[in-house]
Amino acid sequence: MFVLRLVVSRVVLSLLTLLLVSIIIFALLEVLPGDVASRILGRDATPESLAALRAQLHLDDPAPQRYFDWLGGILRGDFGEALTSSRPVTQILAPRIFNTLVLSAAAFVLYLPLALIPAMVQALRRDGPLDHGLSVITLVLLSTPDFLLGTLLLIAFVITIPIFPAMSLVDQSSGVTEYLRAIALPAITLAIVMAVYAVRMLRDNLIEVLDSEYVRMAELKGLPRRQVLLRHALPNALVPTLNITALNLAYLIGGVVIVEKVFSYPGFGSLLVDALQLRDLPLIEATVLIAAVVYVGANLLADIGAILLNPKLRAG
Amino acid sequence: MPAAVAPSITAPPGIWRRAARRWRRAPTSFRVGAAILLIHAIVAITGPWWAPYGLSQMGTGIPLSGMSWDHPFGVDQLGRDIFSRVVHGARIVILLSLSGTLLGLVVGAVIGLLSGYVGGWIDDVVQRLIEALISIPFLVLALIAIAAAGPELAGNALLVILVVALVYAPRIARMARAAALDIVTRDYVTAARLRGERAWAVVRREVLPNASGVLLVEFALRAGYAPVLIGSLGFLGFGMRPPTPEWGLMISENRALIIVSPITVIGPGLMLASLVVGLNLFTDGLARMLGRTVKLVEK
Repeated sequence: MFVLRLVVSRVVLSLLTLLLVSIIIFALLEVLPGDVASRILGRDATPESLAALRAQLHLDDPAPQRYFDWLGGILRGDFGEALTSSRPVTQILAPRIFNTLVLSAAAFVLYLPLALIPAMVQALRRDGPLDHGLSVITLVLLSTPDFLLGTLLLIAFVITIPIFPAMSLVDQSSGVTEYLRAIALPAITLAIVMAVYAVRMLRDNLIEVLDSEYVRMAELKGLPRRQVLLRHALPNALVPTLNITALNLAYLIGGVVIVEKVFSYPGFGSLLVDALQLRDLPLIEATVLIAAVVYVGANLLADIGAILLNPKLRAG
Repeated sequence: MPAAVAPSITAPPGIWRRAARRWRRAPTSFRVGAAILLIHAIVAITGPWWAPYGLSQMGTGIPLSGMSWDHPFGVDQLGRDIFSRVVHGARIVILLSLSGTLLGLVVGAVIGLLSGYVGGWIDDVVQRLIEALISIPFLVLALIAIAAAGPELAGNALLVILVVALVYAPRIARMARAAALDIVTRDYVTAARLRGERAWAVVRREVLPNASGVLLVEFALRAGYAPVLIGSLGFLGFGMRPPTPEWGLMISENRALIIVSPITVIGPGLMLASLVVGLNLFTDGLARMLGRTVKLVEK
């Protein structure tokens, strides 16, 4: 019962946060001082085009009414029409979201071994040269911005050893092999950035578990070290890993913005940048809100996971 | 003259000797980080005096001629020397990063400490607002803030500073609030409150000094990521504008040239990555010296 109440309160708080996020997005983009229409059209706009845009966006309505109209539409699944192409925002978003989901799934598949293997090696060879060496590599990679890492991979695998395409272009007609070739480099970039972030924390967690009493006990019973690590230590490092993974998912939402742009991959992130460059307000609002929903959702799942995995709470 | 010698033995060691002793005892990461930062600081301060060419001087060599003794980082399309541009860029990147982070620290610390000290419904409201701002991914929040500022302010250094502060302030406020919640339970805070001091006075005199360690580490941590954030904005075309030699912008400008002359991208990249490595090592060491474990910055 207690667990259920805790979960419900987390869900309610998350919804409240999202409501506030929608207000912040709306306020930033539509209520801030200055005329929205002239901000979209720039300095050389004619009075007629300004008036037309104002009518299209209902800018003459009071702000609270516009906000509730917008929110009501979203709750019905209607994000309005994009300014630049006059197509429904949902129609533009759908294929982009699909592409980003494919990319993120590939990145996560690569991320798990990239994070777990170095962390386990480091925990087993603690304070040895291998541990120190991997620590230095992790730190350098951690300090390399994702757009730089992506560009360096581009130099290495497109120019020096040309095995991948320079532009990761795909569309609805692309087959599986085309997708795989297109997403390989962006997925590797994202996976490396997420993995180096996790490796350090995972290493420390594993060492902490390896030092605990029950692991000592298992060792004294004569179990081989590898088995102790896999059977006893790893499951206990799961909860912190879950948290790191949620944080990484949060990174991923911002990361795809950069990485998709580096590799010209037509996903959700590059759509946001394009929408910002074109100042397409309905499209910007929709993408930012979806990014926030994914972020809050990921944190909520991690919270609930931690609650359910916590034996103290489970028994209570 | 024994009388003259005696005091110098009993007197506390001078400030330089104490500093030297601290330096020897500091963790390796702190010393390596500080050394890297010192090099960057020297380049940032003195660079414009010894950089071989001006920051947007054209025709310094054959465009895209690659690495040479005259042009260690190559020459771009317009014939500008990349090495000189990178050197000129150091002070811009460092100044933008430090002032943005500092502004974020001041705003975040004031909001977080006050909110944690005052408590009640004000704290609830502030906490929800912070939570909401943090729920918009980092880079996305920066991008929509720039969009909100409109085309007139685009490429303005002040806008970049404000955006860095906007992104950091809620995250710093959350840390500051957590620190304040721990400090307000102490006796000296209760005593000050019972003396009838106002909230702002208690926060300034009792809470702030005791939270300074947390805030210092938080500042170093955020400053370490600020060059990347500014570089990302520049890279996407929403930060500084050409011909500013901001490193992220330079990487984006020279990206079209990587097939002919990859060094034009690697040069600015090397500077950016080494600055961030230095800041990360420095922060790691600083946190250890202050007896804290440092959680690496969220990206």
